[in-house]
Amino acid sequence: MSRGRTGRRPWTFYLLAAFFTLFVLFLYGPMSAIFILSFQGPTGGLTFPMSGASLHWFTALISQQRTGDFVGSFTRSILLAILVLTLTVVISIMAGLAFRRRFRGDAVLFYMAIASLIIPGLLLGLGVGLLFRVAGVPPAWYSSALGAQLTWTLPFGLLIMFAVFSRFDRAWEEAARDLGAGTWQTFRHVVLPILLPGVIGVALFGFTLSYDEFPRTVIPIGSRNTLPLEIWAMTTNVTSPALYALGTLTTAVSFVAIALALGSIALIQRRRARRAATGASSE
Amino acid sequence: MAQAGEIELVRVTKRFDQTVAIDQISLSIPHGSYCCLLGPSGCGKTTILRMIAGHETPTEGDVRIGGESMAGLSPVRRGTAMMFQSYALFPHLSVLDNVAFNLKMRGVAKGERHQRAREVLAQVRLDRFADRMPAQLSGGQQQRVALSRALITNPRVLLLDEPLSALDEFLRLQMRGELRRLQRELGITFVHVTHTQLEAIAVADMVVVMEQGRIEQAAPAYDIYNTPTTAYVARFMGGQNVLNGAVDMRAGARASLVAENGDRFTVPLHGRSPEPGERVEFAVRRDRVELEKSPGRGAPLTDAIIGTVHAIEYQGTYVKVTLDVPGREHFVAHVADGTFFANPMDLGDPVLARWSPDDVYQLATPR
Repeated sequence: MSRGRTGRRPWTFYLLAAFFTLFVLFLYGPMSAIFILSFQGPTGGLTFPMSGASLHWFTALISQQRTGDFVGSFTRSILLAILVLTLTVVISIMAGLAFRRRFRGDAVLFYMAIASLIIPGLLLGLGVGLLFRVAGVPPAWYSSALGAQLTWTLPFGLLIMFAVFSRFDRAWEEAARDLGAGTWQTFRHVVLPILLPGVIGVALFGFTLSYDEFPRTVIPIGSRNTLPLEIWAMTTNVTSPALYALGTLTTAVSFVAIALALGSIALIQRRRARRAATGASSE
Repeated sequence: MAQAGEIELVRVTKRFDQTVAIDQISLSIPHGSYCCLLGPSGCGKTTILRMIAGHETPTEGDVRIGGESMAGLSPVRRGTAMMFQSYALFPHLSVLDNVAFNLKMRGVAKGERHQRAREVLAQVRLDRFADRMPAQLSGGQQQRVALSRALITNPRVLLLDEPLSALDEFLRLQMRGELRRLQRELGITFVHVTHTQLEAIAVADMVVVMEQGRIEQAAPAYDIYNTPTTAYVARFMGGQNVLNGAVDMRAGARASLVAENGDRFTVPLHGRSPEPGERVEFAVRRDRVELEKSPGRGAPLTDAIIGTVHAIEYQGTYVKVTLDVPGREHFVAHVADGTFFANPMDLGDPVLARWSPDDVYQLATPR
């Protein structure tokens, strides 16, 4: 306390500050280099210096000549991510509701679901691919890869919902029932709105984890790649800044997803705050 | 003909797994009365409330309201409304939407339900706060919102689970008066769960004292405090000292008891006829006891005991003096403050406590 008042900081402050500076450099340095290089002029190469600035490599991506199937893999990735998001949200909410009551084998079920977080992803993907081959079903992004990705997103969704439900007062549901709400009305008007910020968190996790999933997806993907797999393939045969343009675009998509999630949470809070502000303008 | 708000529990038992929470309780609460369920935590009083509300199903027995069995009916169909201990206000809805929730569920149009909710809020002087969120209100305001939200359903029975426990002392006293007044105005049945003795006798027409899933005594508040039927109720209500002795002889409407140390007590029989030698418990009102300084034990006493002062607590209008009595539980006297300070005593003083046999009440033989 007294040290704080005299303004002298402990040495751990400088240690942590130095570490954090390094961390930020390490995280954003390479990313900014790729970002800048993706605007390389048409005659430029994979490294600095820049020879002019253009959107040449972005257009090259979409024209799909030497660069691989960008549009196709991007569409597949987005569709798959939305599919994973939807399933993760629905199943996590249902599991969160179910796990509030004890049932036979609940602990076993929980640990089995969580265990898939520590199983090596590549191995899991290998298993899923093998299973489909044995069953004679051709692996595809919407079947085998979807399943493999769910083993990754569901445990996360489950854990988040558990945390959210731990702060959920069951008296709210009873009060709703007491006031004449049926089961569905209770869920629709009380449970879901109160859980909504957590649900958006689960959705964000589901989307971003799926969108850049690699190890679990690489084997059971089948013949048509998702975007991360396409990028991986491109690093071995594409030697132009188109690769960087791709990196910039995918990062932008991730940021849009995050912005959408945070924006909707902020919007919910703003709407509640505005309803709460008695007459006075909140703007 | 049973009236709309009459509640009847018929041999109700509730078990959770192997634990018996409620053990074959039968109870009748008259229409339009204010009933308090009183007992220590874990005695089953909240379970009874929740079974009346329909949030808990009796394992055995029947809950009837207005003469009809409520088995399988939802709270709204029962005509009950509950105010939860935590209030359970919906945190994502404004005060207005909280109060209008029941109307919304019934499909009442927005304009109409908001207008009705505003009217109800105006009755509890909260209309200014209609657009606030629950988290922006004080505890007392939240409580009034919860009350409005329950009352907008026009219940025939209002169930209150520890309604005053989250309020500070000042608000608690104010609100309990308001609850009582509200119950009179509405004329519906109130069932109020509490663990505070003085709260129960202050508001209730009828007090039900519970212990370990059973009813110890169900009676008007005055009777519960003045003429408890069991030693448990006498001790729990706190206004009485519980003593005992063996019957020596019966004379008319009274019996003479003798204690192990030879002291004698006179106890009214209340129509009972205990056999000689039978052990009888009786209660002496704390505020009907006279204390005088005593040199110590001499010959055996009659309708008096001797102890040393263990604690002295000034309560404003009276002084609570606790005596250590050898071989017995503490004996408490409430001495009028004028009397006490005219002749004060100190910790450790030997004191004689005496009372009149008219202030003695015989208790039921222990089970």
